[in-house]
Amino acid sequence: MKTVRRNFIKSAGGAAGAFLFDIVPARALGLQGQPPPSDTLNFGHIGIGGRGRQFLRPEADLGKEVKASPNLGGDGSRVLRPARSMALCDVDVKRLDEAATRVGGRPKLYKDFRRLLEDKDVDAVFIASPDHWHALMTIMACQAGKDVYVEKPACNTIEEGRAMVTAAERYGRVVQVGSQGRSQPSAWQAATYIRNGQIGMVRKVLCWHYASPDGDWTPDTDPPPGLDYEMWVGPARWIPYNQKRTHGAFRWMIDFGGGQIRDRGAHVMSIANWIMNCDHTGPASIEASGEPPHDGMYDSGVTMNVIYEFKNPDWTLIWAQPGVPSAEIEARYGAVYWGDTGHLTVTLGDGQGTDTDPKAKQYQAPYEGVRVFRSPGHGENFEDCIRTREKPIMHMEAAHRVASLCILGNIAFKLRRKLEWDPVNERVLNDDEANRMLSQPGRGPWHL
Amino acid sequence: MPDRAQFLADIQNQNADVRFAAWRAAGDQEADVIAELGKLIAGPSPGISKAANEALTTLVHSVGKDPASPKRPQIVKELLDLANSAGPLAARIHAFRLLSLAAGEDSVPAIAKSIQQAEVQEEVVFCLERIPGNASIKALLAAYPNAAAGFKPRILAALGHRRAAEGLPMVLSAMRSSDKEIAMAATKAFGRIGRKPAQPPQFPPTAGLTGWQKIDFMDSRLRYADAQVAAGNHAEAMKVYKEALDRPEEHWQCAAIIGIARMGTPEAATAIFPKLKSADSKVRITAQNAWKSMAGA
Repeated sequence: MKTVRRNFIKSAGGAAGAFLFDIVPARALGLQGQPPPSDTLNFGHIGIGGRGRQFLRPEADLGKEVKASPNLGGDGSRVLRPARSMALCDVDVKRLDEAATRVGGRPKLYKDFRRLLEDKDVDAVFIASPDHWHALMTIMACQAGKDVYVEKPACNTIEEGRAMVTAAERYGRVVQVGSQGRSQPSAWQAATYIRNGQIGMVRKVLCWHYASPDGDWTPDTDPPPGLDYEMWVGPARWIPYNQKRTHGAFRWMIDFGGGQIRDRGAHVMSIANWIMNCDHTGPASIEASGEPPHDGMYDSGVTMNVIYEFKNPDWTLIWAQPGVPSAEIEARYGAVYWGDTGHLTVTLGDGQGTDTDPKAKQYQAPYEGVRVFRSPGHGENFEDCIRTREKPIMHMEAAHRVASLCILGNIAFKLRRKLEWDPVNERVLNDDEANRMLSQPGRGPWHL
Repeated sequence: MPDRAQFLADIQNQNADVRFAAWRAAGDQEADVIAELGKLIAGPSPGISKAANEALTTLVHSVGKDPASPKRPQIVKELLDLANSAGPLAARIHAFRLLSLAAGEDSVPAIAKSIQQAEVQEEVVFCLERIPGNASIKALLAAYPNAAAGFKPRILAALGHRRAAEGLPMVLSAMRSSDKEIAMAATKAFGRIGRKPAQPPQFPPTAGLTGWQKIDFMDSRLRYADAQVAAGNHAEAMKVYKEALDRPEEHWQCAAIIGIARMGTPEAATAIFPKLKSADSKVRITAQNAWKSMAGA
């Protein structure tokens, strides 16, 4: 059932005081010089906590020149299409209420994302739920005809990623995954530099990232009022509520977030896959070492060293937390690309931006050189593709392949065995248990 | 390798680093530690509970690679005993989850024994879904008639997830259920299995479906049609696609166009042609792209 904000606030006991207009504002009708509704994108937002909040388009901005926030990528020079956040969904009424206040106007409010997806007025959705929901929500959004911007990592299992690719293709939907580094100018400069052979054939990409937290013990409790915890867990295996495993901290649980490798790995290795032209393939083997937490609630690797061997061409990708930072650019994470004739640093790759060496920034590809697609910005590229129906820069197949690296790294880490991987059939060739871990059946009514 | 007694003492040590060293090396232990670890999982100390939990997991990982591992049958047997015991629920649940990684077809009857127990049946189905081979499909089919109405959709979902062609007769029967949830779960399973039945299926009436169920309903039909294209049953697929093409929803039209284009036949081109001039830009562009892909093929 759809919940209008008036009833919602009343029933949830949330912060009152927001005055609700019963008259449709002129801008909604395209009057007073405002963009007509036909040109305005209607966004739905699923998951509006930390990251999801940053996608909101306040009603008051409609009719103004709005530029993408820097952490959406791009150089911020382009004005976004008019858009309104017309529908908001979260399983936590507190967050829902805060987002509604931030957006203003009269957004439709939902606790069940299926009701939002049924809304025929919503053109596209931003999904910023915890990772274990990304796949199902994206697939179901495609079923409902919505274009999708979904946060990274794309998925929690290999099977989920493949199902997301299939859903996007089945319905011809635009799905942009939020590894926005590819849309940042320095990443494009680095890609142009490397793909034009300026460091020779790349043989090794060394990523570095600081370690994950090892956690402590916080007692399980009842969920706070207003949080639908059953829905929060959704398709994942059931686990009692604990505040240190939910909002903002789910990242360190394999079932929900997957640790640093699945979080920042989906940024740093996204740029690597892009530069190395590996958006449609994967490694031939994966080997991992490191230490999980000795104690505490979390189960993702604290330190990790994952070696991915690619074939034809042969190169090695190494995810190391912590690893060896670049000697050229100071940053908390990134990657150094080592070629036959030189090397290049590409840092970060997420909402904090991307940087690369001056030699790549100054490089101009020759006319007959390799041309690399330059995204106008991640959000802008998404908007463009909604109109043109082209695939965005971080399309679903590319995102699935990046997530596959993260997932396979975690499986190899858990099993402490070298996995031989068939990137065409997406199966482990030498390990029965690892193959079973490529899929995780959904819980209750939630299935791929 | 520490002996059994030392290992179990280390798992219960007050020092987290000692516990860690013990559970990291648990793969060296024999299967008879499983029952003891099961008791510790539900204990009052979260640190010891974690160590026991991780030790069990490590033990299973130590035999997970190769189904022919000589130690694997003993470990699976002990896990089955723990899963089906009257012991703490947390330990039983963990045992079922680990069985999903190591149990073979011969263990399926023992796993399925608990499928009608409300407190673990979700874990049992999860476990069966993950075990390769037909035995788990047969167990799900056998459990279905006696399952509570509220749990039947879960079993149907598992059959759909496994693309269980053997389940098709039961799924077709469930699609005719007067219980809307069961009928819809069966329809979803039918779409995922993607096999053409001998007789046309009887779908649940759409009139009584919720908004989301209607979306699921058409999705299931489109999945079925896509599977028919892949199987070369173009005529069967075209029936569904033509229905979708006539719907006002642009995404169903797009899905039909994309599916039809995969056939690459003159009939496919004829079906797509009118959509090249669709007033809806998404449909029009999708049709244009499909047209180009067929021309290229």
